[in-house]
Amino acid sequence: MKKYLYTIIVAFAFYSCSAPKGLYSFDKYQQASYNYLKKADEKSINEIMEQYQKIITKQKGTRKVTPPGMLADYGFFLIQRGNLKNGKESLNKEILLYPESKIFIDRILKLIEK
Amino acid sequence: MKHSIYLLLSATLLIVGCGTTSKLNKAQAYKGMYEEKPVSVLIMPPINRSTNVDAKEYFHTTLNVPILNAGYYVIPPFLSMEILKRESAYDSELFIEKPDLKIFNKIFGADIILFTKINKWDKSSLASRVTVEVEYILKSTHTGEILYSRNGTISYNTSVSTGGGFLLNLAASAINTAATKYVDVAKAANSYIFTDLPKGKYSPMFGLDKAEMAGLKVIKVRLPK
Repeated sequence: MKKYLYTIIVAFAFYSCSAPKGLYSFDKYQQASYNYLKKADEKSINEIMEQYQKIITKQKGTRKVTPPGMLADYGFFLIQRGNLKNGKESLNKEILLYPESKIFIDRILKLIEK
Repeated sequence: MKHSIYLLLSATLLIVGCGTTSKLNKAQAYKGMYEEKPVSVLIMPPINRSTNVDAKEYFHTTLNVPILNAGYYVIPPFLSMEILKRESAYDSELFIEKPDLKIFNKIFGADIILFTKINKWDKSSLASRVTVEVEYILKSTHTGEILYSRNGTISYNTSVSTGGGFLLNLAASAINTAATKYVDVAKAANSYIFTDLPKGKYSPMFGLDKAEMAGLKVIKVRLPK
């Protein structure tokens, strides 16, 4: 009986240290970011685009909202690949969702217009 | 007798809980954070003084996630990298000691800036343990003051499976290249360092964590725990 008691106490001690579910889910985004930053080849670009789509459309975090920066960076990748219309749309969505991004994103939108 | 010792030990473990804390609560330790209520964070490229040439990228690409999960707005990492490069401001050494960082508020809308210095990256001869020493400094763009800082020596066991069952682990080990493992080292270090950060605007705990005890500024830890 006592044995169980220890197990429960120890389990609780570990449980209380484990992180609760995050505000956002990111799947393999960090690994994909690294691969892109390091290689910037076709494969790594496709990989990170896929991650953005997942983060934007299949959000599993407790906030159930796309995390800051993701729509903007996704838009940036779309623009770099020649998809100007959808890229700009994604940048504007970032401002709508996170108004504090307006200063920076407006600057980017102006750069694109040039 | 033996049983009661175990019981006592387990109870101690429970009380000690998540490691050592300082004698200050968060409201005392991070006064500037609660006064300024920063929303927007700009991540600067890490300064790499270690012997691992890729350490900069391992850390750079894993810094935004823990800060986002703490409830902050993190300025889009790839877009901000592009602009920093364009403005010839990609070298963090140029700014880390500067008292006036207002320009980053003007261009990026950033309230705080994160600087990181990777001082050490040591791989043990057994190849499964990596020890990193990293400094993290969060500075206000409004006042130039340091609002949160850590000096972390984090030792990470790369051979530990991240869970997910036998088959998944088999698949994982097949693609478990050094890069994958080392991204995990940076991920673990960064997420550990920011667990103590006062919660930001998008967290349900925003403004409610002042009474929690603050962690220590100098940390030595072995992960995963």
